[in-house]
Amino acid sequence: MAETILVIAEQREGKLNRVSFETLAGAQALAKQTGWAVEAALVGSSESLSSPVDEIAKTAVAKVYAIEGPALEQYTPDGFVVALKAFIETNKPKLVLLPHTYQVRDFAPKLAASLGALLVSDAVGAKFDGGKLLFTRPMFQGKFAADVSLAGDGPWFASFQNGAYRGDQVEMGEGANVEHVVAASGEIRTHPEAPFQAAKQAVDLSQATIIVSVGRGIKEQKNIAIAQALADALGGEIAASRPICDAGWLPMERQVGSSGQTVSPKLYLALGISGAIQHIVGMKGSKNIIAINKDAEAPIFEVADVAVVGNLFDIVPVLTEEVKKAKA
Amino acid sequence: MIFRTPLEGIEHPEMEADVVIVGGGPAGMACALRLSQLIDAHNAEHPEAQLSKENIYVLEKAREIGQHCLSGALLDPRSMNELLPEWEKDAPIEAEVASDSLYYLTKSSAFKAPLTPPPMQDHGNYVISINRFVKWLGAKVEETGITIFSGFAGSELLFEGDRVAGVRTDDKGLDKANQPKANFEPGYDLKAKVTILAEGSRGSLTKQLTTKLDLMQDRNPMTYGVGVKELWELPAGRVQPGQVIYTMGYPLTTREYGGAWIYGGKDNTVSLGFVTGLDYPDPHTDPQHALQSFKLHPFVAKLLDGGKMVRYGAKTMPYGGWWSMPPLGGNGWMIVGDSAGFLNSQRLKGIHLAIKSGMLAAETAFEALTSGNCSAKQLATFQRKVESSWIKQELYPVRNFHQGFEHGFLSGMLNTGLLMATGGHGLLNCYPARAGHERMLPLWDIMGYPGGREQLLGWAKGDGKLTFDKLTDLYHSGTRHEEDQPAHLVIDDTDICNGRCTREYGNPCQFFCPANVYEMEDGPDTPGQKRIHLNPSNCVHCKTCDIMDPYQIITWVPPEGGGGPSYDGM
Repeated sequence: MAETILVIAEQREGKLNRVSFETLAGAQALAKQTGWAVEAALVGSSESLSSPVDEIAKTAVAKVYAIEGPALEQYTPDGFVVALKAFIETNKPKLVLLPHTYQVRDFAPKLAASLGALLVSDAVGAKFDGGKLLFTRPMFQGKFAADVSLAGDGPWFASFQNGAYRGDQVEMGEGANVEHVVAASGEIRTHPEAPFQAAKQAVDLSQATIIVSVGRGIKEQKNIAIAQALADALGGEIAASRPICDAGWLPMERQVGSSGQTVSPKLYLALGISGAIQHIVGMKGSKNIIAINKDAEAPIFEVADVAVVGNLFDIVPVLTEEVKKAKA
Repeated sequence: MIFRTPLEGIEHPEMEADVVIVGGGPAGMACALRLSQLIDAHNAEHPEAQLSKENIYVLEKAREIGQHCLSGALLDPRSMNELLPEWEKDAPIEAEVASDSLYYLTKSSAFKAPLTPPPMQDHGNYVISINRFVKWLGAKVEETGITIFSGFAGSELLFEGDRVAGVRTDDKGLDKANQPKANFEPGYDLKAKVTILAEGSRGSLTKQLTTKLDLMQDRNPMTYGVGVKELWELPAGRVQPGQVIYTMGYPLTTREYGGAWIYGGKDNTVSLGFVTGLDYPDPHTDPQHALQSFKLHPFVAKLLDGGKMVRYGAKTMPYGGWWSMPPLGGNGWMIVGDSAGFLNSQRLKGIHLAIKSGMLAAETAFEALTSGNCSAKQLATFQRKVESSWIKQELYPVRNFHQGFEHGFLSGMLNTGLLMATGGHGLLNCYPARAGHERMLPLWDIMGYPGGREQLLGWAKGDGKLTFDKLTDLYHSGTRHEEDQPAHLVIDDTDICNGRCTREYGNPCQFFCPANVYEMEDGPDTPGQKRIHLNPSNCVHCKTCDIMDPYQIITWVPPEGGGGPSYDGM
């Protein structure tokens, strides 16, 4: 009996992940060297599979399996592993290939382990050399490539890194047979929430027109509220020098300076920032710089357009009130 | 011994290696290159028994080769002539030494020595940038087919009993709390037949090895100095290419050991730096301040006027000499270069010795590989090779040089005369030494100490033109680290910092660190109660803290590979 290579393609909400074509191209290349057959499988609910299965069936594969079950409408690692484990035990492919996606990273190790099988993850290539399958894996952050062979009889698992093969070079076929398989079901311990929407975009300080920035002079985390109030009154963003973000008082993405963001707003208010060069290089392009600092010799005053020597705790709340009044 | 807590339950991928060289400086690169030459010669002679270079690896923690290398630097060409005849033809050389002079500085005057003492005569030597030189040497190594893993640090030695069985590289992608991030990648276990430590001054794996095997028993403790360096661009004609100036005296007093260098390079660049012995008595001493005060001396200020500082850096150097070197080879390991203390303290030169030590270690490793014998006995022959080479001829006569200065500058000068007259023997064949940190005095003893040291104590202010505060200098070191990673300065017990050290020494770490890593900040609760705060991402990898901390509770371990200074042109 000829051996088969099974490609597990990926779909999400009824849309095929294009990286699946890369994995198919890899499988076709290996099939040429080994003489093995290439088959593909997709996992999901019958509605979500209909369009991706058609797309895959157009490529040169011997067969496409649609592994369907209502519980697979949404991805869960348990659901996918139970379905695929049963399918692989029945169909006995020699080699299972997957694209190295986040989803695959999540379930593939568990799937391989449940079958007592080996998984080569994140491969960048494969070849059949002297009767042996060899997968190439990057090591030392890509400085080095190792050829890995697989012990035992299989099934073997491997995932391909994005770009390992070219998806546009996948061979097209005459329309492969599609077989619908009822997915095995089992206990699903995770209950997926609604799909995660990309978080509100992280602040882009470089686009801000007004920035109120705090330094060590703010003394305590709770005092940041004073600066935040001024930023809100002005309609600006809050930012900070490194010590503030290092202490975790504000997130790293709000750090201005050589190890943070470079900004050039119309107005930059530096509150209690001494002005080490590491900070200055990140904000010296601002159109107007107002600095408030107790220390008259603070280097920030060398780049400031308006220098206020004084205690920020006396000045800022009054300033906030004045801004509010003026805007009212 | 304190080390960073390893992550539990992480599998480290293993790789077999013949030789792993930890550290891609002059010693490590010379070692790799010599090994390649020996293998090429062997393969030409024995077509039937070919040796491969595929399993020889160099680990380098800098993102790019040479970026963590800092020195004056003057190169004595002796070992390069042996390693690569006619190397001068394509090596990056700044200038051949054209003149040398020695000055003694008082607060406002400079006195030129009528004759430069023989150890400081530099004719036939070259002014180089060690950064460019090592980049060049590294390219030669890569041409041979030996792999250099830049951006990978040796973070731990692997032991099998007493045998060093290889090196584990740094884990990547850990956060501040030592937890894996999304990009976590565990370190690799490089299982090596021979592990060669070429980490530079105060190597962290070397420290692990010498501590575990108690290698320093019956030896003098190593003593160190820290060199703080600035690279300047000057108006044309101020300092000639190849001009070498040494100074002694101001801003130091007779209680501190050290001095300055000024080397003229090409294109009107000048390397200048100040070495402060890490055995000073006053805990407020700040080596970066010493360099700033040196530049304010009229003799130097005049030279630098109108110039521009372009780079900054700092690095320690081991100058304890022959009696403070550890055993050089043992079961599975060898130590070369600054890690072992291959440095002539009288000439203040070590690059040529580092190169030669790397070459001899390569010869030892080659014999071990071809005979299949990497035992302690075989690798200890490295020691004998060093002793029968010109390294010993150069180091043995100055074996007591630095110890002579332990009692101050004047007795040091007298002792130097005595040693030169007796072939280095002096009154004793081996003068004892004390570790430098033991010479630091507590605050109550320093109160009645002679004055005239304001120019060394506390932080320098900086005028932004001739002198710079520490953070401004640091900016010019190009230092960068991933911020979200565990602190790589491991402090055994910060209660000592916040209590005992504040009372006894006034937290000298804030001053000796040339990169502002250590800060004492106001505690949240009790007013006036300071507590230690670390800025590990400022670290320039000089190792001063590991050496000079009076309680010896700081251990420097490598941060995530790729981080650190960028010493372009240094």
